[in-house]
Amino acid sequence: MLAIGAIAGGPSVTAATTGAAISVRGLTRRFGAVVAVDDVSLEIAAGEFIALLGPSGSGKSTVLMSLAGFDLPDAGRILIGGEDCTHLPPHRRNIGMVFQNYTLFPHLSVADNVAFPLKMRGIGRAERRARAEAALEVVRLSGFGARMPRQLSGGQQQRVALARAIVYRPRVLLMDEPLSALDKNLREEMQIEIKRLHSELGITIVFVTHDQGEALTMADRVAILRAGRVQQIAPARTLYERPANLFAAGFIGDMNRIPTTWDGRAAHVAGRALALEAEAAVSAVPPGPAILAVRPERIGVAAPDRPDALPATVTDVVYGGAGTLVIATLDDGAQVRARAPSAALPPLAPGDRVGLVVPPGAALLYPAEAP
Amino acid sequence: MRPRGLLLDAAVAAILAFVLVPILIVLPMAFSETTYLAFPPKGFTTGWFAEFFDDRRWMAALRFSLEIAAATALLATLVGTMASYALLRGAGAIGTAFRALLVGPIVVPHIALAVALYLFFQRTGLGGTRLGYVLAHAVIAMPFVVLTVTAALASVDPGLEDAAMICGASRFAAFRLVTLPLILPNVVSGALFAFIISFDEPVVAFFLAGIRDKTLPRMMFDDIEQNLTPVIPAIAVMLTGLSVAVLVSAALLRRLGRTKAAPAGE
Repeated sequence: MLAIGAIAGGPSVTAATTGAAISVRGLTRRFGAVVAVDDVSLEIAAGEFIALLGPSGSGKSTVLMSLAGFDLPDAGRILIGGEDCTHLPPHRRNIGMVFQNYTLFPHLSVADNVAFPLKMRGIGRAERRARAEAALEVVRLSGFGARMPRQLSGGQQQRVALARAIVYRPRVLLMDEPLSALDKNLREEMQIEIKRLHSELGITIVFVTHDQGEALTMADRVAILRAGRVQQIAPARTLYERPANLFAAGFIGDMNRIPTTWDGRAAHVAGRALALEAEAAVSAVPPGPAILAVRPERIGVAAPDRPDALPATVTDVVYGGAGTLVIATLDDGAQVRARAPSAALPPLAPGDRVGLVVPPGAALLYPAEAP
Repeated sequence: MRPRGLLLDAAVAAILAFVLVPILIVLPMAFSETTYLAFPPKGFTTGWFAEFFDDRRWMAALRFSLEIAAATALLATLVGTMASYALLRGAGAIGTAFRALLVGPIVVPHIALAVALYLFFQRTGLGGTRLGYVLAHAVIAMPFVVLTVTAALASVDPGLEDAAMICGASRFAAFRLVTLPLILPNVVSGALFAFIISFDEPVVAFFLAGIRDKTLPRMMFDDIEQNLTPVIPAIAVMLTGLSVAVLVSAALLRRLGRTKAAPAGE
């Protein structure tokens, strides 16, 4: 904890107060005819851990580069800690940043890498050394100061980069896909490390990733971007259970999309009528063609003659140990995936008739046209 | 060894001989006791070296050449390094045009360049001045600096400067503290090249020479026309030695640069 105190600004400052709020208002960035960022607004609370999630080209990196000051927006404002820094150059923003490919200075020792930001701030040699060592202790690399970056593994290098980003006690830490160059085990280890740092330092973190699992496990809230627009910004559970639109629904986890006809009270699928609760529609759905969205693990597999079940024919059974994925075709031709505990399933083979049960509250309703 | 390998070795040996034999013939002449050029040399003396170092005119030419070469190395390296940076990190269209123009001084015959510079310098009053020499030699030497520096710069991750800037370094500080140390071996290597190119350069110097200030190669031409003593091969020995030393150190520096600029990942 001593090391943490040295980073967070001494024991008198509690962790919760070190982060700065970020306000992004109407951010727009065009590259020629392409609108990379289209009127994006985000309100990030002080000390919050937020993930920007999206496919490549969604604009998530451009938003991050604008926060860092490497890219100037065509319109919009960025406030950090209430201060307008839309046009402030990167070196005057006092932001920490961790890049995808470590970007350690190869000609400097680990200790000199970590002390570099302190040197830029005119801090004396003795204090630089002490604070760099304290920062290395925070990322569990005590005693590595004298090594050169090339003597470290990828995970160690990224931890040095992390130490370099927090050593000057920035109020905001930006992370640009920092774990994508690491293998799976290291990535999970680093995820835990970064979560720990976040709770210990109380710093605001903006984390860009294309890995939905990473975003869900690490962040307080996740912003899903697509084609330069924010689709939804919400905590992980809300994103998973009530995605704002079909894109968000398909981007996070697996989601069945069953074409249906909505009459205002019930959804008609394969000759059956499913009565839906009022909150099944995330946004207003006009009567007519619609999409019924159900998570595979919410669908039950039952006998084909059950009156409340949707009759279907099994097309494939994928056994996966604890769970089994049953792929079935409804009588109207729509394909449905159901995931169930293997122990609870009767023996099934392609061609078998089954009934698929969608419990009340498991289904969401979206307008049929593309969001 | 297979016959094809033998043939190749023979061809390489023949080319090397073709390149080296003239040098190997000139060098021993520097030690001949005769007052004219003789091959094979008669006797052995180092007197011609002493004659060179005792002659005020030779020493003035040497000093002048050293000054011009040093200034050329400085100017060509400064401009060449900045140009390399712009070429690799800057905007596209201008960079491409510049890259094409860059080889100009390499492919255009020096005599053509010299005539053009002569005419231009006559009008602007730069003829026969030190500044004129330095500008002319810098034009010739700069492409070599750019070639060596871009080779190093291409292997330096541009993201390193971003990292330095987010750490609080201004753009120039990021270059000076991060990029420059990584490419420094090649920058110095380029400077050595520029120095030796200027120091050895006879053609442009021939056109630009004033009455008083002459570079060493220009003085050698004069001496060949008037005296042709073994002082000339003596100078040739020293110039060859200097060139070899510079080329070897430049090569060593570039090798050092490769290990230095290599990304930390591997």
